[in-house]
Amino acid sequence: MVDIVLRATNLVKVYGRRGRHPVYALNDVSLDLARGTTFGIVGESGCGKSTLARLLVGLEAPTAGQLEIDGDVMTLHERQHNKALARKIQLVFQDPFSSLDPRLSVEKALREVLRVHDLHRGHESERVAQLLAMVGLTGRFATRYPHELSGGQAQRVAIARALAVEPEVLVLDEPTSALDVSVRAEIVNLLVRIQDELNLSYVFVSHDLSMVRHLSDEIAVMYLGRIVEMGGYDQVLDHPLHPYTVVLGEAIPIPDPVRERARHVALRSEALESAPAITVGCPYAPRCPLVEPYCREVAPTLLDKIDGHFVSCHVAMREPIADVSRS
Amino acid sequence: MSALLSIEDLHIGIKRRKGAEEIVRGVTIEVQPGEKVGIVGESGSGKTLTMLSVLRLLASPPLSVLSGEVLLDGEDLARVDDKRLRAVRGGDIAMVYQDPMSSLNPLLRVGSQIEEALRAHGADMATAQARTRDVLLEVGLDDPERVRTSFPHQLSGGMIQRVMIAMALATSPRILIADEPTTALDVTIQRQILELVTSLQATTGMAVLWVTHDLGVVASLVDRVIVMYAGRIVETAPTEQLFTRPTHPYTKALLESLPGLETPHRAPLHQIGGTPPDPTRLSAGCPFRFRCPYKIAQCELEEPPLIDRGEGSFAACWRDPSEW
Repeated sequence: MVDIVLRATNLVKVYGRRGRHPVYALNDVSLDLARGTTFGIVGESGCGKSTLARLLVGLEAPTAGQLEIDGDVMTLHERQHNKALARKIQLVFQDPFSSLDPRLSVEKALREVLRVHDLHRGHESERVAQLLAMVGLTGRFATRYPHELSGGQAQRVAIARALAVEPEVLVLDEPTSALDVSVRAEIVNLLVRIQDELNLSYVFVSHDLSMVRHLSDEIAVMYLGRIVEMGGYDQVLDHPLHPYTVVLGEAIPIPDPVRERARHVALRSEALESAPAITVGCPYAPRCPLVEPYCREVAPTLLDKIDGHFVSCHVAMREPIADVSRS
Repeated sequence: MSALLSIEDLHIGIKRRKGAEEIVRGVTIEVQPGEKVGIVGESGSGKTLTMLSVLRLLASPPLSVLSGEVLLDGEDLARVDDKRLRAVRGGDIAMVYQDPMSSLNPLLRVGSQIEEALRAHGADMATAQARTRDVLLEVGLDDPERVRTSFPHQLSGGMIQRVMIAMALATSPRILIADEPTTALDVTIQRQILELVTSLQATTGMAVLWVTHDLGVVASLVDRVIVMYAGRIVETAPTEQLFTRPTHPYTKALLESLPGLETPHRAPLHQIGGTPPDPTRLSAGCPFRFRCPYKIAQCELEEPPLIDRGEGSFAACWRDPSEW
C-alpha cells in the first residue's frame, strides 16, 4: 500500500459573499501525496494553484472538503492550537526577500522558529549550524542580514527556516521563479538532495512546466479552480489527454531553435479569454478546439482513463488514446 | 554604414566625485533593417539600461551616458533637439515594456491613448481614430470598438499587452524595442504575443530588438542573439549557432542549466555556482572567471574583448571552445 502523507478531499474555496458573484477559486479538488514524492501543480494565473497552496498550509480554511495529514483530519482550528500538527506542513514562498524579516539576521530568524515551536532548547546554536549545513551554507552566513544575501542564498535560508520545524511536507510555491536563471539549477538540485536525505514530500506549485516535469513524480493540471488532468509526470506531460494540457505544452518556448521552428501554434482570438466564468458544462468549453455541443451542457468529471492517468474531458474519455494526444 | 541602428561603445553609469561607477561598460550593437535581435541577460546585466538609453529614457540623474553614441541611420540621437527626439520616440523607434498595466493611464480610455500617440505624430482626429481601429484589428483584437472604449482595468493582461503593441505599431516604426513584454504574462498568452510579433514583423519589415532572460523565447523569435553579463556583451551569434555551438562558457552554462526533455528525471542539473557580480565593483580580469570552469591565468589579468570564433560567433573569452 502506498503511504499517503497528505490527502485533500473535495476541497472547495469560495470567495465573495454568498449570493453576490461568488468566485469558485477551488472547485472540488482532491489529491493524494505519497510520502517521499513530489506532486507538481501547474496552471496559469487564476487557475487556483496558489489558493490550493494556501489551504494546504493552513493560511486559510476551505469552504468545504477536508485535509488529512498522516491519516489525521486537520482543520484550521486544530492547526492554530496544535503546534505539533502545524509543524508537519510548511511553505516556501516565491520571493525569499519578502518572506524574510529584514531586521533579523539569519541566525535570529532560525532561532525564532525554534523558540516558537519549543524545539532543541539549549542546543539552538548547534541546530542552526546543522540547518545551514543542510541547505549548503557555511556558518559565516549566520550573522548576515537578508540584504547581504543573494537571491539564491536567501532562498536557501527560507528553505532552512521551513526545515527547522522538521516538517513532513513542504509546499513550494514557485520557489525558483524570482531567482536569476543562473542560480535556479542549484536550488532545484538542493530540493532534490534534501528530499532524498530527509524523505520529505513536496507539493510543487509552478507555471514552469520543464521544472515541474523535472522534479515531480505526479502532476495535476489546473484550470479555473479544477483539476483537469492528473497522473504520472510522463503520462501528463509526454502524453497529455486534456486539450488544455496540449495547448499549455505547446505554448512553452523551448530553448532549441530547430525544434521551435518546427512547431506551429495557430493564433487564437483574445476575445474568448475574458469570457465570463460559465456555470454549466465544461469550464474549458469556450476555449476548447475539440468542443462538442454536449460539453456545453454537462460538466465532465475527473475519471481514470488509463493506468491512473485521470482526465476531465468528454472527448478525451471517448477517443482512443493515441488520437487525443496527437491532436 | 548600412546599419539602421548602431550603438557604439556605449558606457552608462553614475557619475561620482571620484570618477564614475560604470554599469554598462562598452556595448556595441548594430541592427540592420528588418533584423530580429535578442538580448539575453540576467537582472543587472545592463540589457534594459542599454535599450532605455537608445531613446534617452535613462533615469538621469543619477544615471547618465558616460561615453559612446547611438546612431539612427547615421543620426546621433544624443545630439538631436527635443522636437526631433519626440519624433524619433514612437515614430522611428517604438518601445514595449515589461509591465503593460503600469504603462497605460488607468483614467483614460484605451482608444484615446492610442489616438493621442498618433496625433502627437501629426495625424488628424479622423485619421487617428481610423488607424486605431485598424491596428487593434492587426494585433488580433477582434472587437476594436469595444477595446477602444474600454478602460485598462476592463481588459485582461494579454489584451493590454496587445494594446501596447498596437500603440507601438500605430506609427509604423522602423524599430520595435520590446523589453521582456511577456514576462508578466501566462505562457499561452506569451505564445500568442510571440506569434503575433513574428507575423507583424514579417508584414511590416520592421527591425525587432527583444530583451529577455528566457532563452526559450529567443529561440522561437530572433535571427541573432546577444548575451550580456556584468554590463558587457559576452557573446553574439546567429540564433542556431548560439544554441548548438555556444562559444562563451556563460552561454554554455546557461543552456546546460535548463532541464530539457533529455535530462533524466530528478538528476542533478548543471549548476553555474556563484552569483552574477555587481558591475560597479569589478576588478581587472574577466568578470565571469569566478564562475568559469575553463579559466586560465590570463583571465585574472585582462578582460577579454569580443573575439571572432567563426560562423558569425563572437565571444569575450580568451579560450577557443575547442580547448574546453
